[in-house]
Amino acid sequence: MEQESLIIRRAISGDEVALRALWTRHAPHIDLVVRRLVGGDPDLAADIAQEVWIQIFRALPSYRGDSQFSTWAHRIAVNRTLNALRKTRRLANIETDVNEDTASVEPDHERTFVAESIENAAARLSPGARAVFMLHDVEGYTHEEIADELGITSGGSKSQLFKARAKLRKLLAHLIDANDVRSSNEGTEHVAPAY
Amino acid sequence: MSHLPTERLAAFVNEPPSATEMAHLAACAECARERVMYRQLAELSAGESARIGMPLTSWEKLRPALIADGVIDDGRGMSLGSRHVRRPWLQAAAAVLLIAGGIMAGRRSAGASLFPPNETPVAANNATTIDSAPKFASLAAARDAQAQSQLVYQSATAFLAERDTASRASDSPASVRTRLAALDRTRQVLGAALNDAPYDPVINGQYLTTLGQREATLRQLNTFAPASMRITSY
Repeated sequence: MEQESLIIRRAISGDEVALRALWTRHAPHIDLVVRRLVGGDPDLAADIAQEVWIQIFRALPSYRGDSQFSTWAHRIAVNRTLNALRKTRRLANIETDVNEDTASVEPDHERTFVAESIENAAARLSPGARAVFMLHDVEGYTHEEIADELGITSGGSKSQLFKARAKLRKLLAHLIDANDVRSSNEGTEHVAPAY
Repeated sequence: MSHLPTERLAAFVNEPPSATEMAHLAACAECARERVMYRQLAELSAGESARIGMPLTSWEKLRPALIADGVIDDGRGMSLGSRHVRRPWLQAAAAVLLIAGGIMAGRRSAGASLFPPNETPVAANNATTIDSAPKFASLAAARDAQAQSQLVYQSATAFLAERDTASRASDSPASVRTRLAALDRTRQVLGAALNDAPYDPVINGQYLTTLGQREATLRQLNTFAPASMRITSY
């Protein structure tokens, strides 16, 4: 976008209005990526998001315009967030057990129910599994890209993803099964098989 | 009948089943259904990427860090760019425009005419208004004042948009959409103007203000929409 490249040029020169315009435009997406990867710790997510933005603006002179600014900034956000999580040892390879008794999400906020359910459920995954799930199924990364980001093998990424999906399937049963009931006519009883 | 492992069912979203697994899926309704459920989960997850939300960060918190880091040019020559090209005549023109605009707005808000009455000597009237207008010792001072004014204006507008409940009483989805459409048209006009005069500070300022307001209005519109219908463009 030509106008955005002009804004970026002004931002590189230190123009606060241009820097703020970039932040205003992209913060809803960038901050959401951080929140998804961090999971259920809003204070940590806010701290990391602040670091992410400082890093994005510091790196601005290196932006060459080869990709869209949003893509470039998104990549920095993922890198920076994963680094920060490593520092807080939240990307350990230890899988946290999912407490299935607390897995259901009360549908009291119908408007944002779907999105919040996925976010809440993903927050209950282990940090590693959450990162793989968010990067692959939400952000669209390949297993090879995830392997590079997380320092694991692509096979390890696949394995984590399938485990994460299996847990989310249980956590979101109320949501997915409800969709199934709606789409295949009401009246049929659907029970997930006990594996 | 034993069922397929959950992790294999979860893998079928991206990987084809083997011949043995296909045979099982053909014979086992529960596993076949689970396979569909995993596809639905993947579709829901992919839909998440289009969602936008309230930022975790605030400009008020970011700003001091960016100034300390030298990212924001606070007038001490620190900025990201090694070549800092200024157009002094443009900055001066912008300062004059700002002063003139301020004088006109002040007169307008005070109920006075924008133009001096015929019987008043023009020179005397000008002297009065110029005395009450801010004076700048340097281009840098005028530039700072201009940036500050833009920032104060944008912050105040954003603050009012968020908290002025009296004016929001009439903010129906339809009125928000109307405002968004108007801002979109403004953005297009200013964008075209920016192509003709890319370094004009006044057009730049107005364009950036419009962009910021458009994003804020877009977020406001999203508060009316269900989560499954996030509006990311208009």
